[in-house]
Amino acid sequence: MTTSPASKGTSDVPGQVFEKFLQALNDAYAPAELVARLRKTLLEEKKFTERALKEAVLPEEPLP
Amino acid sequence: MIQVESITISEFRGIRDLTLDFKGKSFAICGPNGTGKSGVVDALEFALTGNVSRLSGEGRGDISLKQHGPHVDRRNDPDKARVSVRVTIPSLSKTVTIERSLKNPAAARVVPADSAVLEVLRQVEAHPEIVLSRRELIRYVIATPGKRAEEVQALLHLDQVEQVRVGLQKIANTCEKQLVPLDTAVKLARENLLRALGISELQKEKVLATANAQRMSLSLPALMDLTETTSLKDGMATPGPAQPQRIPKAQTLADIRATREALAETCSDDTMKGVVEVSADLNVILGDPAVAASVKREAFFTTGMELVEAGACPFCDTPWDLGELKTYVQAKLDHLKEVSRKRRAAEIKIAPLIATLRKVQAAINSVVGYAALASPPLALKAAHEYSVHCEAVIQRLNALLPIAETITVLANVPIIPQIILDEIREFDQVVAALPEPTKRDSARDWLVVAEERLENWRDALRKQKIAKDQVLGTRQISDIYAAASDKVLAGIYADVEKDFASLYGFINREDEDKFKAHLIPSMGKLGFDVDFYGRGFFPPGAYHSEGHQDGMGLCLYLALMKHLQGGNFTFSVLDDVLMSVDAGHRREACSLLKKEFPNTQFIMTTHDQIWLRHMRTEGIISGRSAVHFRNWSVDHGPTRWDARDVWTEIEDYRKENDVRAAASLLRHYLEYESAELCHRLRAQVEFRGDAQYQLGELLPPAIMRMRGLYRHAKEAGNSWNQREIIEQLAARDAEFAKLAETSNAEQWQVNVAVHYNSWENLGKEDFAPVVKAFRDLLGAFTCALCGEYLRVSPEREASESIRCECGKTMINLLKKSA
Repeated sequence: MTTSPASKGTSDVPGQVFEKFLQALNDAYAPAELVARLRKTLLEEKKFTERALKEAVLPEEPLP
Repeated sequence: MIQVESITISEFRGIRDLTLDFKGKSFAICGPNGTGKSGVVDALEFALTGNVSRLSGEGRGDISLKQHGPHVDRRNDPDKARVSVRVTIPSLSKTVTIERSLKNPAAARVVPADSAVLEVLRQVEAHPEIVLSRRELIRYVIATPGKRAEEVQALLHLDQVEQVRVGLQKIANTCEKQLVPLDTAVKLARENLLRALGISELQKEKVLATANAQRMSLSLPALMDLTETTSLKDGMATPGPAQPQRIPKAQTLADIRATREALAETCSDDTMKGVVEVSADLNVILGDPAVAASVKREAFFTTGMELVEAGACPFCDTPWDLGELKTYVQAKLDHLKEVSRKRRAAEIKIAPLIATLRKVQAAINSVVGYAALASPPLALKAAHEYSVHCEAVIQRLNALLPIAETITVLANVPIIPQIILDEIREFDQVVAALPEPTKRDSARDWLVVAEERLENWRDALRKQKIAKDQVLGTRQISDIYAAASDKVLAGIYADVEKDFASLYGFINREDEDKFKAHLIPSMGKLGFDVDFYGRGFFPPGAYHSEGHQDGMGLCLYLALMKHLQGGNFTFSVLDDVLMSVDAGHRREACSLLKKEFPNTQFIMTTHDQIWLRHMRTEGIISGRSAVHFRNWSVDHGPTRWDARDVWTEIEDYRKENDVRAAASLLRHYLEYESAELCHRLRAQVEFRGDAQYQLGELLPPAIMRMRGLYRHAKEAGNSWNQREIIEQLAARDAEFAKLAETSNAEQWQVNVAVHYNSWENLGKEDFAPVVKAFRDLLGAFTCALCGEYLRVSPEREASESIRCECGKTMINLLKKSA
């Protein structure tokens, strides 16, 4: 039997996904402020609602 | 994370008072159905997480933890329903006590309660998946791809990942939706500009040529270039405040023509056709009250979903677990997918009608503006009101609900009140009657209007660009997120897939050692195909038996847990898991748990004693790491086959002169123990296909086998010339023979008078020596030090030795080779 070696585990899968996402945004030259706002929302405040994401992605009111 | 040392359960579910000492090792709870095994599982889950999944969640109806968690006789006193566990935390080298009562399940009393301990317990609490029951097991295997993805996502805590994915998608979609009216505004502004310029194509050279022609009339220098900031009227003197503003005759006449054309378009055949189609679609929805109500509900739930943020319903403020509430609302939305589709189809057909109305509105507004410059000013009241009405109609069509009102409004779209046409005709006559302006005035009017419309167009373009940038940005963010999460999840799934196949292949290595599986994540779903004996990949339920599917469920669970918790996967409760696995693969399943998860403490329940033996022989549990429940009553809860309890109970019955009950209990206990002895000693028992063995079929073979083993041991000792050992064995054999003879068990086949069936006819004094004889006899099968029954090693092939659990007893059975 050849299962993968026991690791620390990926207990925080969402955290892992969010980190990867923010890294990918950086790699795509996304504005640093946008990445910082998303980091605060997703990893620090752990807010995942559409409203919270909208405030991070579009800090100013979108056009009418 | 943790290992459980012991549990004490009081007045919880069907248990009155029970303490089990796991000693931090894997442990089995065996007993017939309904003897309280799952009560222990519930208690473990409750102590560690504050919840009992069997009593909460979807489909539990009126059952609740607080109301139905306490023992039925304590249902009004939840504080008495308590569970206390003592756990060790290997990473902290600490032992901790956690106690909860059903009065306040969320409040655990933890001792010691330092921050490191509480952090570990918080993690345990966040992973209720440490408890796996058989009914949950199959969820991972024979589920629809969407449902399986939900189950696996729940296990991996991917709900947050999914929530963010949906949120970012919605933001991008909303931005795209907001772009539509801005596109329309640009189109209208462009048409207005072209009309003012009097050209058909908006090309720089043509704009400059026509503007410079007008500028030349005013002796203004020609514009050499047209940039984003170029003013067509650059250098033109601004009229003084006292100078009244004039109606630009040519432009006004052109706008009046455009207004007439727009109004004509509003009542054209195309518009009529569009109105008829949309009205028909909406009437279908309205005609089915259930669908109409569903559209309302769908709009309500969609709005509600956006407002769900805190741990309460946004409508009635009822406290909810945030995740549960979202799942609950989402489930309702999922049921309304068809309604959503119909609504979207109607919205697509309505969009051109809205564009037409915007065009009319813009044209009328322009004309109304010029009419105000007339002398005396003309109000064009009906036209102005119609413009306001158009805005209201656009809002109504955008909202769609209530559908009946939308249908009524739609019916009026192609109807233009005659008074509007009359007003416009009258204004047309007024404008036509105006004296022709001088060439300079005409050029001035032209440049003012053209510049105004150029600015309007530029402004509309700017807004459109910002919106487009938002669309591109939010779409890109959404796509990057999707790609990043897919990459992470694909990596996890690839590892899980490999481990799953390896674990399952181990259990079924006899015929499926090359087994492979595919986990295929796609758009929020998780496909799962497995190899069927090299014939191709199919869903697990297609060809594999139920037993194999159970095995797959366990292996997928273990593979997921391994990746989720890694080295922290130190505790798991397997409730009645693998009961349908065929006997041939149970041993392998036990071996798998032992070999692949040596640091995990498994608490396992089963009603099958054979399973229990497999666990023992494969070394997952040691001799004492098991409890066997024999029955359950509402007054006393589970009763276990515990030697001390049984002998006390038998003695109590006997003293109360209830020999019948004492005899029955003694017989059942001896049956249970004799089966264990025959298994351990590898005694020869007449085979029964129904596996229903009576005491007379088990105990005599066990006695005969024990004596035969002593005989073999003495012969072996003799071959090795071990005089001292032979003498010790002879003494043991003689003592054993004496006890066997006292019990009369060997004579059951030939002497009916001493048969156990006649015990219940004895008086209480006569029955006392019978009890003592069998108690002593069972003691003769045990190791004097550890008290465990002796066993023959190995389990198969030639018998080599008689051993015990602690190692003190070690009797050789192999003779010296000649």
